[in-house]
Amino acid sequence: MTIGPEELMAYADDALDPLRARRVEAAIAADPALGAEVERHRALRRRLEARFAPIAAEPVPARLAALIPANVVALPPARRGPAWWQAAAAMAACLVAGVTIGRMVDRGPVGATSGGLYARGALARALDDQPGGATADGVRVALSFRDHAQAYCRVFAAPVADGIACRDQHGWALRRTMPGTTPRGGGDYAQAGSSDAELMAAAQDMMAGEALDAAGERAARARGWR
Amino acid sequence: MAAFEEEMLAMLPRLRRFARSLARDGADADDLCQVTVEKALLARSSWQPGTRLDSWMYRIMRNSWIDTTRARSRAAETFVAAEAGEGVGDHGGAEARVVLGEVDAAMQALPDEQREAVALVLVEGLAYKEAAAILDIPMGTLTSRLVRGRQALMARLGELA
Repeated sequence: MTIGPEELMAYADDALDPLRARRVEAAIAADPALGAEVERHRALRRRLEARFAPIAAEPVPARLAALIPANVVALPPARRGPAWWQAAAAMAACLVAGVTIGRMVDRGPVGATSGGLYARGALARALDDQPGGATADGVRVALSFRDHAQAYCRVFAAPVADGIACRDQHGWALRRTMPGTTPRGGGDYAQAGSSDAELMAAAQDMMAGEALDAAGERAARARGWR
Repeated sequence: MAAFEEEMLAMLPRLRRFARSLARDGADADDLCQVTVEKALLARSSWQPGTRLDSWMYRIMRNSWIDTTRARSRAAETFVAAEAGEGVGDHGGAEARVVLGEVDAAMQALPDEQREAVALVLVEGLAYKEAAAILDIPMGTLTSRLVRGRQALMARLGELA
């Protein structure tokens, strides 16, 4: 029975379900070095907490607190329709996204070829040049990784669609798309919605090894993502 | 005061702590807080009531920090060549800076991807799942960055971490 470093860390953080926690405890009983590693993890957490806790206990500087308007007139809450209406609206949004992607062919951010859909224009440029985690021109590239065929893939969120694109000899092939969650016209900070979680789960499945870090991305970009 | 502002005000101490674990020093950290609060107020309409305001603000702060560090490293790449030539024989400038505490120095030595994971989970006390959502990465990526960051910190801070 082997316990990986990540599982041991999760045990030290009380982040395992009871079944896996018991498995780790059995391994610790057999190997005291594992127990020592758990203790090191916990000691590190205590040390970081001790270093940074006093900052949260300090009074907030006035210039910071003053930014938040203290006496705003509360606006009436935005009116919300009944649930069925929201569901219908969401479905309509999906349809619109589908139709929009269809219409974008050869004009907008997506082009159709006999080999499938490819990113074009601003979306293709963002996939080529934008570092992971950055947002520009309404396109956010969240994460880069290599798939099992060793192709470079990137998770993106754009007004027209969110999705995963992988680089092949023709360009950035769209492997997965769903209606865009990025609001048009600013608003970079939309909530992480269900499409994010779905895409991240899909990325995890497609990924061979780990996601690229900043240095890995720079190296991949320097090679033209090939 | 509306609930949004009240909650934001109540969150400022934690935001300052998160900023302090990301940024190079206290002044940069408070600048980062200011930018974050300003952006959050402007983007207010994109926050969905009923969801966690703290996750949303951590996300804004983290993205602002990334934008700042990227801009800074681009600027550094541009100027480093010139400075490297001029600075020969010039001592004292860099050494006169404030000496960082051990923990701060160890955090600063981490790659950004590891530092932000460590900051959210170990300093802010978020669950892995929450941290992964804020950072826009899958759980497996979060745990691998977190474990590498912690191992680097433990190695640097010694057995008595």
